[in-house]
Amino acid sequence: MAKRIGSLDDMEQLRKRIVSGIDPNKTMVTICGGTGCQAYGSDKVFQAFTEEVKRQGVDVEVGVKATGCHGFCERGVVIVILPEEICYLRVRVEDVPEIVSETLVQHKVIERLTYEDPQTGEKSVKESDIPFYKHQSRIVFGKNRFIDPKSIDDYIAIGGYEALAKALCQMTPEQVMDEVKKANIRGRGGGGFPAAVKWQTTRSSPSDVKYVIVNCDEGDPGAYMDRSLMEGNPHSVLEGLTIGAYAIGAHKGFVYVRQEYPLATENTICAIEKAEEYGFLGKNIMNSGFDFTVEVERGAGAFVSGESSALMSAIEGRVGEPRPKYIRTSVSGIWGKPSNLNNVETWANVPLVISKGADWYTSIGTEGSKGTKIFSLVGKVNNTGLVEVPMGTTLREIIYDIGGGILNGKKFKAVQTGGPSGGCIPEQFLDKPVDFDELSKVGAMMGSGGMIVMDEDNCMVDVARYFVNFLSDESCGKCVPCREGLRHYHKILERIVSGEGRESDIELLQDLSDVIKDASLCALGQTAPNPVLTTIQYFRDEYEAHIKERRCPAKVCKDLISFYIEPDKCKACMICLRNCPVGAISGDKGLIHVIDQGKCTKCGTCLDLCPTRFNAVTKLSGEPVPPPPLKREVTREKGSEQ
Amino acid sequence: MTEAQEELLSELRETHGYKTQTEVVMDALESLAGRSSASFGSKLSHGVEPHEREEVMRKVIATASKVDEIIDKHGKNDSQLIQILLEIQREYNWLPKEALLWLSERLGVSINRIYQIATFYKAFSLVPRGRHLVRVCMGTACHVRGSMTLSDRASQLLNIDPGETTKDMRFSFETVNCLGCCALGPVIVIDGEYHSKPSTPELEKLLNECA
Ligand SMILES: Cc1cc2nc3c(=O)[nH]c(=O)nc-3n(C[C@H](O)[C@H](O)[C@H](O)COP(=O)(O)O)c2cc1C
Ligand code: FES
Repeated sequence: MAKRIGSLDDMEQLRKRIVSGIDPNKTMVTICGGTGCQAYGSDKVFQAFTEEVKRQGVDVEVGVKATGCHGFCERGVVIVILPEEICYLRVRVEDVPEIVSETLVQHKVIERLTYEDPQTGEKSVKESDIPFYKHQSRIVFGKNRFIDPKSIDDYIAIGGYEALAKALCQMTPEQVMDEVKKANIRGRGGGGFPAAVKWQTTRSSPSDVKYVIVNCDEGDPGAYMDRSLMEGNPHSVLEGLTIGAYAIGAHKGFVYVRQEYPLATENTICAIEKAEEYGFLGKNIMNSGFDFTVEVERGAGAFVSGESSALMSAIEGRVGEPRPKYIRTSVSGIWGKPSNLNNVETWANVPLVISKGADWYTSIGTEGSKGTKIFSLVGKVNNTGLVEVPMGTTLREIIYDIGGGILNGKKFKAVQTGGPSGGCIPEQFLDKPVDFDELSKVGAMMGSGGMIVMDEDNCMVDVARYFVNFLSDESCGKCVPCREGLRHYHKILERIVSGEGRESDIELLQDLSDVIKDASLCALGQTAPNPVLTTIQYFRDEYEAHIKERRCPAKVCKDLISFYIEPDKCKACMICLRNCPVGAISGDKGLIHVIDQGKCTKCGTCLDLCPTRFNAVTKLSGEPVPPPPLKREVTREKGSEQ
Repeated sequence: MTEAQEELLSELRETHGYKTQTEVVMDALESLAGRSSASFGSKLSHGVEPHEREEVMRKVIATASKVDEIIDKHGKNDSQLIQILLEIQREYNWLPKEALLWLSERLGVSINRIYQIATFYKAFSLVPRGRHLVRVCMGTACHVRGSMTLSDRASQLLNIDPGETTKDMRFSFETVNCLGCCALGPVIVIDGEYHSKPSTPELEKLLNECA
């Protein structure tokens, strides 16, 4: 049983004891255990390392640690060897014996596994030299890579729970509140509402019982920052929550985790148990007289349950539907008690403000948005993963300097931020600084951190339809403007993408938007027009091409495209013919292949499988498919490919 | 069983002519259900041949005691309703009707409220699901990288639409909104194993490997 920590002194001693047990020169292999890397088999890599180190009887003492997400998910499995900070990417089990014998024993770098710049071909060995990391400032998220999420000592070793000790032992709740107010932390869940204002309302609401809640519902599709924080560094969130509870005067907290994140649930429960052992949670925390306990609640899969009043009814065991908020949840929330809800990342910022002070914190960011923001940089970008940058960093810096530009040298078309509530931002705004206020000016919003990059092959009408489809699926149906409005949105957009659009449809969509925006009950409906309106505003020509020419310029919308094999490029290799799932391709060895347009389901298998050196399959849109060639024999020139 | 219970049981056997313990409990269940609006008893005995009756009863009783176990773990409190349902779902991979009726009785909440929750949230299934679960991510990141195509292909290979189960109960196929590994999109998850962007032949191979 761990010793209970009763004072600042205790805390400092504990940290010293833990740190003194760690040899900074000891070789330590940290293996990313985030979801992305797990999908690439990080568990097996971890096991292979443990076994291989034993098998090769390495004399130097080597530690192996599975940590939280490092962020560079695209290149998983990511490992970093400390103290040299050698970073290996795309590590597979087969590489492990070599890494142990070469790098761990002989300190030689294996070039093949290091980062290579796709443009310049330049290699980077050290993690901090890799452009993806170099341009970030990972004050919240960066701790993940030093911590085994199941080990509280790891967190304490890097200064964890010092902020809690400081708050409880040296500050009054009012002082904590003042510091958070001065730091002007704004909610990271999307809205950007000042945390201190919400805290103050809950604090001043008359009631003995108050609640604080972590929102880890993360419904925004395409975003996974909260997941990685909650899985990778649950203590930082719990520490922030406890400090907040102290300032607010709450004695019970909830962590609401979405059902798709079982590892986040597991790690949070484990963290709560460990924190209780040290007395960071429970009765009379650090002898301050303050009691606080935390419970984990699992969501059951509903986007709208991430909304504050909906989330609170879900915690009560009822259906997670929003209610009108004439009375705020900070006044009347769970079981009618004042309840303060903040996003995972908002809570994780709190310990930083307390330990380093509001002055330090406000030195980062822009006038109205302080600190950093974590983004999930995904889609058609070279370096996909999680990135943390100071507020005010431009979209261009994020997408090009950190993200390494667009995949396969294609042309950038738009970046979608703010999830289903946000909008699509075109190229002309790439130099906009990203913060709570700037992106709203162009009709989008920063949102909770999803940043989905789209290239010339993405159809913007299809994207609008995608979000509307998502939202009408997720609308709880309680209020008419949202339920019916989205249904009609969907009908109109379906019509457009299938080539049945009418000239008046664009105006109809705009009119409908006003009603949905003004009359919906909760922010799901109120912000639902954003993806539609921004795509109309910036990509009206694409809508018009669909409607007037029955043409999808990006060649995405199935009803408006055909797959076609170019006769002069086809080498009759039989690959597409054999793999077509519906047998729509005719031909033979030596006979040019032809797609039967009547049978074709447009699954794209032929396009995917046609060898790049032939490149014979293309997509057509807005033009008729040429008839099959009269002469079907493949002419083989001498020396040409077989 | 305590002595008193044994005694009660043999008494019931004599007066009602029950043959087995299962039948006693079953009868009690049916009479309980008779009080609730849903047709628990009739549903269970309907279409069941007399010789199957005992088998069905055994199953129902096993389910009921499992539900009791889960309730004990979470506390007999209606605020735990969603958490309890999640655990039943995890246990059976769907929500069997008898489990819901039993839960309704035990927690004293109406069956309507349970159905309201079970139909609202995506995690719950009111029909049995196949042995293998195939999920294609339809999140934004996966969408822009072609998840529609991936889902169409899976649908074609499995010969079912999203939300359906194959007749032989081998596969259930679902689409989901973001699995939280957006960097790898488009993602397909087969029985918890993530696969990034498989081609049609690769996908076919993966599915064939599922017994
Ligand atoms: C439909 C809908 C879904 C939401 N989903 C989430 C979510 O998944 N995570 C989140 O943190 N906030 C979500 N929010 C925002 C919350 O209502 C709330 O504003 C936020 O959690 C407050 O935390 P913050 O002030 O720290 O941002 C959602 C809002 C709406 C309207
Ligand atoms: S969008 Fe597919 S995993 Fe997130």
